Amino acid sequence: MREALRTMLVMIELELRRLRHDRTELYFRAVQPILWIVVFGPVMSSARAINTGDIPYTDFITPGVMIQSTTFLCIFYGLMMVWERDSGILKKLLVTPASRYATVVGRSMASGIRAIFQALIIVPVALIMGVRFVPNAGYFALAMVIIFFASGGFAAISIFVASFMKTRERFMGIGQAIIMPLFFASNALYPVQMMPPALQYFSAVNPMSYVVDAVRGLLITADLSNLLIDVAAIAVFDVVMFALASVNFKRIIE
Amino acid sequence: MEVAVDVRNLVKVYEGKTRALDGVDLKVEAGKVFALLGPNGAGKTTLIRILTTQLRPTSGEAYVFGLNVAREGSKVRRLISYVPQEMSVWVDVSGYENLLVYAKIFGIPSQERKKTINEALESMGMDEVANNLVGTYSGGMVRRLEIACAMLIKPRIMFLDEPTIGLDPSAKKVVWERLTSFKKEYGVTVFFNTHYMDEADLYSDEIAIINRGKIVKLGSAEELKHSIGGEIILFSLENTKVTEEFLQKIKGLNQVKDVIVNDSELSVLVEEAETALPHLMDFLRNNGVLASKISMTKPTLDDVFLKYAGTRLEASGRLAEVTSVRRMIRRG
Repeated sequence: MREALRTMLVMIELELRRLRHDRTELYFRAVQPILWIVVFGPVMSSARAINTGDIPYTDFITPGVMIQSTTFLCIFYGLMMVWERDSGILKKLLVTPASRYATVVGRSMASGIRAIFQALIIVPVALIMGVRFVPNAGYFALAMVIIFFASGGFAAISIFVASFMKTRERFMGIGQAIIMPLFFASNALYPVQMMPPALQYFSAVNPMSYVVDAVRGLLITADLSNLLIDVAAIAVFDVVMFALASVNFKRIIE
Repeated sequence: MEVAVDVRNLVKVYEGKTRALDGVDLKVEAGKVFALLGPNGAGKTTLIRILTTQLRPTSGEAYVFGLNVAREGSKVRRLISYVPQEMSVWVDVSGYENLLVYAKIFGIPSQERKKTINEALESMGMDEVANNLVGTYSGGMVRRLEIACAMLIKPRIMFLDEPTIGLDPSAKKVVWERLTSFKKEYGVTVFFNTHYMDEADLYSDEIAIINRGKIVKLGSAEELKHSIGGEIILFSLENTKVTEEFLQKIKGLNQVKDVIVNDSELSVLVEEAETALPHLMDFLRNNGVLASKISMTKPTLDDVFLKYAGTRLEASGRLAEVTSVRRMIRRG
């Protein structure tokens, strides 16, 4: 058990070291969420098409856009790990005493580190656009912890799905195919109550909705009434995805 | 004698059809440098992946220092280290950081970590570039870093899959010099795959020739070459079809020990080439067989390979190398 934990921590450390050397990917990936906040938010809010209560529309979507971009990053991070099957890295890791389970979970969690940095890049842009965050450092830190743990689950989804794929080319479309339904059928851009009933049901099992809800409560609304449910949902999601990805990891190696 | 690797009637069938290993029997003595020589697709990588616990055999047994690789995988993994054929280091961090990550995965205590890493870097001659990003390394340096990584835990046995594929001759030589001195110092057993005959010839204590999933011959380079015996006279034939009858006749000649035909090349194995050649030339001329070129050589491992596997290793190796080097570059 201690060994498994050590392996996971090493994977996270590796990710920090990578980021120290090269952060270009994060900057490029920040372009899209910044456009949502700088263009989409203000335009939609002047149209007044979506009722978000007391909160300005741009403020409302900021957590959603943050989670969308971190989730996107994690889905691709997971796919990248499957690409490593073609290189020798996975083969070599498998021949170390580290458990396969710890390797999968550790690599998934490492994507959370990247995700936190990605989320942090968006914060100053949101501040410039006048988004008002809850002035509480504890809340902010907790939001980052939630993003970190949720990211691991999303990376595990993509490891699981990609383990069924035989060629690299097929991976490319899959990232989009996973992320877009999660994003649009969640509360990221509009309150769930506005959706047709069928989508509302989907949203209730959509892990992204719970992550957005928790982060929105902590960063924007300071409404923490759902926080426990959200955290519980994310924990269940992580455990299930880690289990599925670890079991299917065998397919990736052989 | 301690046995490092013991393989008994090992069979691996992929997806119910491709028979990669077809009943391999093999024993490797501890402390030796052992080469598995064969063309691509012969089953070398499959065998190494089974021995390093990545794949399960379809049937048969394999042991590494007495531990069953299928049933006692986690114990085996504490004794061995492995360098895959493909690039296996992270290119976006430094060489030192790569080793640091593996030192932690292997559980090397923190007070020894720095010393162990520096020793490994030094013994592979990588100490000066250790803090550069791996992305800036040459192919030979990447290979040396990978081997340094395999040295970290001072394994009982090192498995190297095509350790010098795609390297130029001087980089190849450096890799082997460093490996040899590491082996001398720690007495580690080295098990490597290769399709380069010169590499097997120069650096191994023992060679197993593998072809189509079967070990066809086992012995030291000298023994293998000696097993052919004598010298070889090679005739390059001019568009002549060699008949079976002609072959039987030539085999019946005094002095001739064996004859092998490969495309338009006729290799005749004799006791002493100088005295046999005049007779052979007469014989060929009398039978209407014309030779455009004649050469005399001592047997090489390629001749050994030709005799036991029925094809030349070089020809099948060359194309395979081009593809795998390309693959490395693409992934690099």
